[in-house]
Amino acid sequence: MSVDKNKINIKKLKSPFLGMSDVEIEFGSVEEDWDEPMGPTPKPSMTDLREWDMKLLERYRPFYTPVCDMCCLCSFGKCDLTHGKKGACGIDVKTQQARMIALEVCIGTAAHGAHARHMLEHQIERKGRDFPIDMGLNIATEAPITRTVVGIKPKTLGDFEEALEYAEEQLQHVMGSLHTGNEGSYLDFESKAMHAGMLDNLVKEVGDLAQIVGYDFNRGDPEAPLVDIGMGTIDKTKPVILTIGHNVAGGAEIVSYTEEHGKADDIEICGICCTSHDLTRRTPRGKIIGPLSMQTRFIRSGAADVIVLDEQCVRTDLLEEAAKVKAPLLATNDKACHGLKDRTKDPVNDIINDLVSGKEKAVLVFDPVKVGEIAVRVAEAVAPTRQKFKVIPSKEELVAEAKRCVECEECQRACPVNLHISEAMALAAKGKLEKLSELRDLCVGCVRCESACPKGIPVLSLLEKAAEKKLKEEKSKIRTGRGPILDTEIRNVGPPIVFGEIPGVLALAGCSNYPNGAKEVAEIAEEFIKRNYIVTSSGCAAMGMAQYKDENGETLFEKYPGDFDSGCLTNVGSCLSNAHILGAAIKIPAIFARRNLRGNFEEIADYILNRVGAVGLVWGTYSQKALAISTGLNRWGIPVILGPSGSKYRRLYMGRKDQEKDWEIFNARTGDRVTVDPTPGHLTYVAESKEECIVAIARLVMRPNDTVKGRMIKLAHYIDLHKKYMGKGPDDLHLYIRTEADIPMNVKDETKKMLKKMKWKEKIIPDPTLVERLVWKKEAKE
Amino acid sequence: MNPHATSWVRTQESGPKKSMVVLPDAASRIIKKAKKPTLVIGSKINDIDGLLDRVIALQKAGVEIVATGHSVKFLLEKGSDAYVIGVVEATNMLTDPNWKGIDGKGQPDLLMVMGVHLDLTNQTFSTLKNFTDLESMCIDRYYMPNATYSFPNITDDIHLEYLDDIIGKLQA
Repeated sequence: MSVDKNKINIKKLKSPFLGMSDVEIEFGSVEEDWDEPMGPTPKPSMTDLREWDMKLLERYRPFYTPVCDMCCLCSFGKCDLTHGKKGACGIDVKTQQARMIALEVCIGTAAHGAHARHMLEHQIERKGRDFPIDMGLNIATEAPITRTVVGIKPKTLGDFEEALEYAEEQLQHVMGSLHTGNEGSYLDFESKAMHAGMLDNLVKEVGDLAQIVGYDFNRGDPEAPLVDIGMGTIDKTKPVILTIGHNVAGGAEIVSYTEEHGKADDIEICGICCTSHDLTRRTPRGKIIGPLSMQTRFIRSGAADVIVLDEQCVRTDLLEEAAKVKAPLLATNDKACHGLKDRTKDPVNDIINDLVSGKEKAVLVFDPVKVGEIAVRVAEAVAPTRQKFKVIPSKEELVAEAKRCVECEECQRACPVNLHISEAMALAAKGKLEKLSELRDLCVGCVRCESACPKGIPVLSLLEKAAEKKLKEEKSKIRTGRGPILDTEIRNVGPPIVFGEIPGVLALAGCSNYPNGAKEVAEIAEEFIKRNYIVTSSGCAAMGMAQYKDENGETLFEKYPGDFDSGCLTNVGSCLSNAHILGAAIKIPAIFARRNLRGNFEEIADYILNRVGAVGLVWGTYSQKALAISTGLNRWGIPVILGPSGSKYRRLYMGRKDQEKDWEIFNARTGDRVTVDPTPGHLTYVAESKEECIVAIARLVMRPNDTVKGRMIKLAHYIDLHKKYMGKGPDDLHLYIRTEADIPMNVKDETKKMLKKMKWKEKIIPDPTLVERLVWKKEAKE
Repeated sequence: MNPHATSWVRTQESGPKKSMVVLPDAASRIIKKAKKPTLVIGSKINDIDGLLDRVIALQKAGVEIVATGHSVKFLLEKGSDAYVIGVVEATNMLTDPNWKGIDGKGQPDLLMVMGVHLDLTNQTFSTLKNFTDLESMCIDRYYMPNATYSFPNITDDIHLEYLDDIIGKLQA
C-alpha cells in the first residue's frame, strides 16, 4: 500500500471478509483531530476581507506622496496625471499610486512566496512529504498565520503545499487586477495590496517552518547561541566562502559538506543579508558579515575566496565585483541566473576545474548539494593562489584618487543619504582621512556615488580604506535567530500586553537603508528595552543593532536576554522568520483569550488592532518585501513606522485624531456605537528622525482596550519620552486620557488643570470591536 | 534654462510640472503677499550654524513656524517655541480642505519647508502639488522640483545670505 497526498493506493488486500487489488481511493483534505470550528473566511478570496479592509481604510485613509506623477505602464503613455489629470485609460494619480503600491506588494510577496516554495520543495525532497511539523513541547500553535488564513493545522511538510497553492492562486488574482482597465478605485487597490500583504505573511511562515523542521533549526529557544558578526570576525588564514542573499539551501549544503568531510574547522563560512542569519541557525560556526549594505565593500576587501549568490536583495553587479578580486562565483537560484550557463547537470569535477583554472569566472548551479561540494573544493583550491587579492587602495593611492576629485558634488547628489562626500574628499586629498572614515559609518553601500562620479573615482573603496582600522575591530555578537515565540511565553505576557501593563511590543525589521547609520536602530531598541517594553528583531535590523557596542564592548544581544518578555530582546532570524513576530501577536488572542484562529481572520485582526499594543519599525526601508511585510501587518491591525526614505513607498495609512467620528467603534458588551480615544493613531507612519520615531512608538502602542493601569504606564512613557526628545510634553495628551485614573501620578495635578481648561470629557472604556457580529449582546439589543 | 533648476537629487523630478526657481526678491514678495505664510522646519534645521536664528527671525517677522521631527527641541533651547506635528501628519491634514489649521484659525495659504530630510521634503511637496491648491515654496538650499517655487541649488553660505535678504525685506 502506498499513501500519497489525499490518496491511498492498495496494490493487494486479502482478508477473511474482503479481497482487492490495484484499488485507488481518493479523499479530500482532512482535519481529523482538530476540533476547532471553521471560521467564516478560510482561504479568503481577494474580496472576502474587503469589508474589513474598508473599515480600516475609512479610519486610516491612504495618504499618497507620488514619486512619479505619470503612468508608463501601457503604450498609450506616458500619461501625465498631475493634479487631477486623467490618463488615457481614465486613471487618476491617486488610483495610480495605489496600483503601484499593490504591484510593489505583489513583488515582495512573490519573492517571499517563491523562496518559500523552493524551500518547501527542497525540504520535501530531503525529508519526504510526511515529515512532521514538530515544533517541540512548548509550541502547540505551530503555524498561527496558516491556521488563521488557510484554516488548516499543518502536521507535515506536505500539508504546507495547500497553503502555498492558495497563496499563489490569490497572488495571480491580485496581479490580474493591476492590468490596465481593471480596478478603478484607489481604495480597492489598497484592499488588494493588503490581501497580497497578508499572503506575504503567510508564505513567510510556511518558508521558515519548512526550514526549521527540515534543517532542525532552533525552535524558539530564548537562549539561542551568540555568534560572531562583523568584517573583523573573519579568519583570513582559512579559505573563506561568502554567501549572499536569503535562501540558505546552498549555504546549508556547504556546511553539511564541510561537516561530512571533516573540514568544519578548516573553512570559514560567512554570509551577508538574511541568508547569514539562517547559516548561523544551521551552525553557530557560521559568521555574519552584516546587512545587505556590506556586499560590495566586503567583496572588494578580498577576504572571500568563493562567492555564492542565492536570491533577493543581491546586487546585480556582483559578477563584475567578484571578477575584480579574482574570486570564483556561484549563482544558485533560478530567480537570479545572471546570464550564466546552467552547469547543474555537469560533473562536479568539470565545474571545479573550470572555476579553479579561471576558464570560467562564474557558473550557475541549481543543485544545493553540488553547490556545497563545489564551493568548498574551489575555495580550498583558489585560496593559496588568490592570497586574499583585494581592490582597496593603499593610503597613497587613496590620496592620489582624492586629488583627482573636482568637488562637483555629483556623488552627494546621487547619495540616498546626501553624504557630503566632496568635502571629505577635499580633506583626504590633504591626507586627512577622518571625515571619509566617519562617512563610512553612515554609508548605505549602494555605490551610486561611483556611477555618478565623472572622474571614475572608486568612492566606496576609498571609504573602506579610510575606515580600515575600524573595520579590523568590527567584531561583535548577535543572538542566533530563535524562530517562533513559545506558547509558554505568550501565556506569561499575553495578559499584561492586552491590559497594557507591558507598555508595548516593538518589532524591528527592514533593510539597512538608514538615514543616519545603523547605530540609531540600536539606540531606539535600547530606549524601549530599558523601559520594559518587549523588543523583537529580525533580518538586517537585527544585524544593524548588533554592529554597535556600548562602552563595555557589549551589543544589545549580549546585554539583554533573548526571551519574548519585557526588557528583553529577541532575534527571530531572517526576513522569513519575522512571520513569527506576527505569529506571536496572533497567539495572544488564541492562547490568552481563547479565540478561535481557524479561518477567522477578521476577528483575530480586530482583536490585535484593539488590544495588542504592538508596533513594527522599518527604520531602513528599501525592498518591495519590506513594503509587503508592512502592508500585511497593517491588515492584521499592527501599525508600522517607516524611516524617512519610506515616504518613497508613496503611501501611508494615516488616522485623523482631530476627527472624532473616525474613532467610533462597537462596544462588544452592549452593542452601542461609542467614540474611543484615537488609538492606534496611524497604521503606517513616517518619522523624520530617531527622536520623532521614539515618541511615535510610545504613542502608537496605545490601544482602546488598555486598562487604566496600563494606560497610565503607557502615558507615563509617552510624556517622559516626549519631554526627553522634544524638549517639552505632548500637546495631544488630553486625547489619550479616557478617565482621570489614566493620568500618570507624577503629572496628575498639572494635567487635571489642563483638562479642565480644555473642557475635557471622560470617555468610556469599552470592549472595543470594529466588527458588529462580534457584539455579545447584539441579539438582546435587537 | 537656469542651470541651477535641476533637482539636487538628480532623480527627484516626478513629472512635467516643475517648481519655479525664485531668488530672495521674489520669495519675499510671495511671503508678503500670503495671508498666512507658514514655515515647516525639520530635524536637520540645526545641522548648519545660523539656520535656527534665521527661523526665529522669520517667526518674529510674522511667519508661522511648525516644528516637525524633533526640531522644536532646538527652538526651545533658543527660547522660542512652535506648534509640533509630524511632517506627514501636517501634510495629510493639508489635503483636507475642511481642516481648520494647526492653530484652529485656518490653513496656511503658503507653505514653506526648510531643514526637513531631503526625501521627505520633496515627497511633501509632491502631495501638496497633486492633492491641494496650496502654494508651496522650498527655502532650503536645494532645488525641490515638486514645490510651486524653490530656491536654486546653493551653498550653505549663500543660503544664509538669501534668508537674511528675505528677513530684511519682510522687516522693511
